[in-house]
Amino acid sequence: MPLVSERRARTAVPVEVQRDVERFLFDEADLLDDWEFREWLGLMAPDIHYWAPTRENRLYRERKKEMAGPGESAYFDERHAELTQRVDRLYTHMAWAEEPPSRTRHLITNIRVGATERADEFDVESSFYVYRTRGERDVDHVVGKRYDLIRRADNPYGFQIAKRTIVFDMATLLVKNLSLFY
Amino acid sequence: MTVDVSQYIDADRGFVRGEIFHSREIYERELEQVFARSWLFLAHDSMIPKPGDFIQNYMGEDPVVVARQRDGSVKAFMNQCRHRGMRICRADRGNAKSFMCSFHGWTYDTAGNLIHVPHEEDIYDPKVFDKKDWGPAQVPRLANYKGFIFGNWDPDAPEFEEYLGDMAWYFDAYIDRYEGGMEAIALHKWVIPCNWKFNAEQPASDMYHAEVSHASAVQVLKRPGADNGATRYAKGKGHQFGSPYGHGAGWFDTTESSSRNPIIAAWENETQPQVAERLGEVRAAAVRGHANIFPTFMMLNNGSLRVTHPRGPEEMEVWSWTFVPVVAPPEVKEQYRIEVLRTFSPGGMFEQDDAENWLEEQRILRGHMARKNPLIYTMQLGNARRNADGFPGTTVPHCYADEGARAMYRHYEDLMSGAPWPELVELKKRREQEAAG
Repeated sequence: MPLVSERRARTAVPVEVQRDVERFLFDEADLLDDWEFREWLGLMAPDIHYWAPTRENRLYRERKKEMAGPGESAYFDERHAELTQRVDRLYTHMAWAEEPPSRTRHLITNIRVGATERADEFDVESSFYVYRTRGERDVDHVVGKRYDLIRRADNPYGFQIAKRTIVFDMATLLVKNLSLFY
Repeated sequence: MTVDVSQYIDADRGFVRGEIFHSREIYERELEQVFARSWLFLAHDSMIPKPGDFIQNYMGEDPVVVARQRDGSVKAFMNQCRHRGMRICRADRGNAKSFMCSFHGWTYDTAGNLIHVPHEEDIYDPKVFDKKDWGPAQVPRLANYKGFIFGNWDPDAPEFEEYLGDMAWYFDAYIDRYEGGMEAIALHKWVIPCNWKFNAEQPASDMYHAEVSHASAVQVLKRPGADNGATRYAKGKGHQFGSPYGHGAGWFDTTESSSRNPIIAAWENETQPQVAERLGEVRAAAVRGHANIFPTFMMLNNGSLRVTHPRGPEEMEVWSWTFVPVVAPPEVKEQYRIEVLRTFSPGGMFEQDDAENWLEEQRILRGHMARKNPLIYTMQLGNARRNADGFPGTTVPHCYADEGARAMYRHYEDLMSGAPWPELVELKKRREQEAAG
């Protein structure tokens, strides 16, 4: 990842764009929390790459290897077709890890929008906190950060996600599964 | 008085009581009698190729460092400083010349020799202190089986190949298909709130669950034109193997690759003749399904090989590697990587439904009555044959069976009795002779 100062130096966007992108991410979070996964799929651009590399404990001198690179360990490494399979699976109603469904709340914060070379695409960073309860007593929390490429689109939400890199703030994953989306 | 698990296990009749998944007392005895006396997977050659390369692993709850030496050999030692018991190495892996304990600075080389003690001359009397006596405990028994490195704390345990026995034939069907062997290309680690034996018995013995537990994944991951299991499930054709040393394996009697991934399936089918030359027709086509080397080294036919580290009676930590044949083309290796992460990683479409079963079983076993009533492991009971249908050792002629589980719990009960290894080896020989009639 580039340094904060380098990311800071990117071209700023008009405040309306920041507001619209924030609204878009909040809408997306609601679709996930409300189990509107087919609608959510519509926010994924046809060329989406949805990627979540693993992390490990490395000494500081080997810190560049802390996060897995492309082609290495990952929790998600999906294109549109694979995301569709995951959504379809949830609607078989035999995906027992989500039947009955769990309850989630995606809290999206620290949203920064930067311009790119294309007027209709934006580099967007956001942090997330996903709280989940399930069944009688299960509760877990997943915290992390997303690096998105978000593109203007002709849909009711105004944008699509063309690329999403998800970084979970864990090495050993301290939850029983990643059955939903982040 | 130590707990006697034989009151909870009747392997011959196929009964197991849930106490063995729940009791803290039994768990503590497992660490001593199972994990400190069994051959446990420590590393693969491909994880530590160069001198100074190391990984951390666990033997039960005990952390160990596994390191490649300058002469190419491998050493494994407790990741515990002998001074105050602090963890010596806190990186998951890397390359190092030495390890310094960050408590008082005691420093060890990669072979586990204590090489530096700060202020040694001023503070320790050489009459009572010699550095050579205070290296971390070395894993005394190491075995490298075709690149897979196993360790055992017990000097009396049988040699690794004797311990594997007929299981070697089945293990080879996973890891010795191609010249050049395997390499690990990915790793997932996660935690599931359930007893380690729930995971272990599944690759040892349970193809039966897949049809229902994994119904959703099977439905959406169909490969056009492929059998996708439906025909196989309908017929239930296959076999299951159980070993006197607690290992198990099961498979459908297929004649071609069962991979859902078209690129993998094409490559596996294309290379099948050369695999058949190496392993024989039967092994090349079938045999690969699920398997477990007791207690906790598990494998599936998609390249997923895992260890479940016990973390108390009600929790385990899964370390699941993706292995690929070294000779596979890069685009095929990439598909194996993708396939495993989509199916058997923590976000995998198969894996998450397994966890759901195990953690619910675990939670229910808090109940007194839930532990009192036996669970039933009688599928294919009485149908065991030796060296039948071209399969070595004891098998039953159906892949929906409990033969692997009965073997696992019989051996588990043997170990938990506390009898020393030489006695257990004799006991197993006697049983085999009796079974042979």
